[in-house]
Amino acid sequence: MKIECTIDGKALSLSVNSNKPLSLILMEDVGITSINSHCRGKACGNCIVLLNDEATLSCVIPAFRLREATVKTFDSYQKTRLYRDIERAYKATGNTPCPNCYASKTLIIESILQEMTNSTRNRTFGRNNLPIAGGQNDEAPLDKEAIIQELSLNTCQCMDMAELLQIVEIALTYRRRKRVRRH
Amino acid sequence: MYEGIRSPVIHTPKTLSEFATIAHRYPQAVIWGGGTYLMSQKDYYPSEIKDGIINLDELEELKRITRNDRFVEIGAMVTASQLLYAGKLVLPEILQKTLQSQASQIVRRQTTIGGSLCVPDIRFGLSTTLAILDANAEVKYYQGGKATTHWIPIAKLYDKDGKLLLGPQKALLTRIRIGLEYGDFQRFIIVEDPIRNTDECVIVAFQATRAQNTISKVQFCTTFPNKAYHISKDLVSKLSGQTLPIHPERVNTLSYELVSELRKMHGAISELQLERARRIFESFLHELNAQTLSS
Repeated sequence: MKIECTIDGKALSLSVNSNKPLSLILMEDVGITSINSHCRGKACGNCIVLLNDEATLSCVIPAFRLREATVKTFDSYQKTRLYRDIERAYKATGNTPCPNCYASKTLIIESILQEMTNSTRNRTFGRNNLPIAGGQNDEAPLDKEAIIQELSLNTCQCMDMAELLQIVEIALTYRRRKRVRRH
Repeated sequence: MYEGIRSPVIHTPKTLSEFATIAHRYPQAVIWGGGTYLMSQKDYYPSEIKDGIINLDELEELKRITRNDRFVEIGAMVTASQLLYAGKLVLPEILQKTLQSQASQIVRRQTTIGGSLCVPDIRFGLSTTLAILDANAEVKYYQGGKATTHWIPIAKLYDKDGKLLLGPQKALLTRIRIGLEYGDFQRFIIVEDPIRNTDECVIVAFQATRAQNTISKVQFCTTFPNKAYHISKDLVSKLSGQTLPIHPERVNTLSYELVSELRKMHGAISELQLERARRIFESFLHELNAQTLSS
């Protein structure tokens, strides 16, 4: 099956099995180095990528869902300005995830930061029209419990939850400051 | 590509009649909702998928949420995340709690309601909560190019071990319907992750109506993801009409009755799970007592 998609800013035409998991495509066909394991959908949380700007487990995305999609892996994310907030938060706390889960934990934190800084944006549900009046499509801001749930997606035990929460808090401060300056 | 393994054909129906035609022509085709369960199977890839995959992603009919005065209807392809965003206006509180506890947001964006309910061998929180909310599922059976529609209560979709009972014909769960009349006391508790720690996980959903110190319309369901899906009619009838507060000794007796019932009907449940289920059940009754005494 031929699939046209954009991976790390490059428009690619891939010839892969239609049901091949994205994590394997990235490892075997594209040669992405930040993803190094394939847990077969067991949710180890080590294969997070940004699919159309939303964090996703790449082991549960089949190739046929990638048509016209934009995939951003940690390889390209680390070159963006957004990454600096998280990197600075790692430095400020003196805690850094282990090399095995560094990419995934960072992208999970990025996903949390996006949720928390865009808490009033409207969700678009594709072509699904929810017949509910009154703008109930707004997402609720994440609370501490929800942040812990998000962070628990990665099962690597190299850091404890308190450290991760501190990193999220500091990165959020940097991100908000950046947004205030921009506006 | 892996040598000798043909890439499966992807069928993407846009309407239910198109789906019916494809299902008739390719009876062995795999129906694809969110794909989280299918892709977590050991033999998922590389493997031969004979008649290809029917991808439901473009079936707009299955992506709607509608509500009127009496019930809310949720399409099978609505994701857990989308349903949560629909908010309190549409969902009972217990269902929101269930969806939130189901997985992290990253996973919830992908899991569909129909997919969660149609996993063949593991039961999650959603089927537990929908059972006590008296929800019904619309199931379309396809045989010989003809489709028949049945409304089946969620509690009847599974056997006592939690296995899906949709029969040998090609079937498609298209939407679920939840009535908007439910009890004022609703609780949902899940202990351990049903995917990562299936053998120790316990899920309990409970609802009741409390009026003038009596409880009525009691519904509760206890699930042990890969072992049991238990709705105790006996205990429900014993609890309905009880005067509150229930004496602590009676609470204790009832909770041990639940344990002996579970032990009798489902041999595979571990002692840890039984004790967890008992304590959760007891805590609900104590909470009902506390609410009565404080009001």
